[in-house]
Amino acid sequence: MSGPSDTRGMDPQLMLLLELQDLRAQRKELAESEVAERMQEEHFHIDPADARSHLDEKITEIEQELHPRIRARYAQIVPMRDRVVVPVINGVCYGCFVSIPTATAGDRDSPAGVQSCEHCGCFIYILN
Amino acid sequence: MKLRQLFTLEGVNLELKAETKDDILKELIQLLDLDDKSETILFKTLKRRENLGSTGIGKGIAIPHCRSLVVNRLRLAYGRKPEGADFNSIDGEPVHNFFLIVAPPLEVSNQYLPVLGKIAQFAKDPDIPTHLQDISTPQEFLDLLEEKAP
Repeated sequence: MSGPSDTRGMDPQLMLLLELQDLRAQRKELAESEVAERMQEEHFHIDPADARSHLDEKITEIEQELHPRIRARYAQIVPMRDRVVVPVINGVCYGCFVSIPTATAGDRDSPAGVQSCEHCGCFIYILN
Repeated sequence: MKLRQLFTLEGVNLELKAETKDDILKELIQLLDLDDKSETILFKTLKRRENLGSTGIGKGIAIPHCRSLVVNRLRLAYGRKPEGADFNSIDGEPVHNFFLIVAPPLEVSNQYLPVLGKIAQFAKDPDIPTHLQDISTPQEFLDLLEEKAP
């Protein structure tokens, strides 16, 4: 079956960053929302502490797969922002809500074409 | 907001073809009509969630769910596999009905958890599996939600 398993055309480093973003969102919800914690326990029989620990392991594992320069920038952004990767929708960065020309967005020093917003520094992911 | 308002006809597939857990997740994701790279990311995130523990809650129902940056609003889809599939469900039984829920990391309206709770509640109604088995069109699925889901 095609579709979700087709990773052609996607920068592998951006893909890792997006995975990290999603895992961090899950981790944050389990850590901060009693409703989420209760729901996972009650309906899905998940032990929230185990789940958090599992997510932490995965996050660390994926962080190690980042290019050192991207990992360094990622480490700078994480303490300051909930979202390390933000979407750009209709040319607007959803990290800072500033309009950025897609053609000029990016970091010339960033390997493998991973782009970032020149205003807020977040890695960007362009949604069609 | 009622569950009925969160589903669309295009987001309902009453004849899932996939046989394996992974392929079922992929087929459900396709109902959201995302681009290829978004589908890829979403699949991985859903898989990671499944690795924490199956979202098969028993009685033939699974609710794969996650937050993901690839959507910019709450998205839901429903898939049915009449013959059932192994989804590592809590009760060990095959799953016939799949409710996919995907929410962005931050939602203005914060509907994700309440909707997840509503679907879990809806699915626990002992009559629902039979009703779901009997529907023959996506519209009937929406009508069932209208009638039975708050």
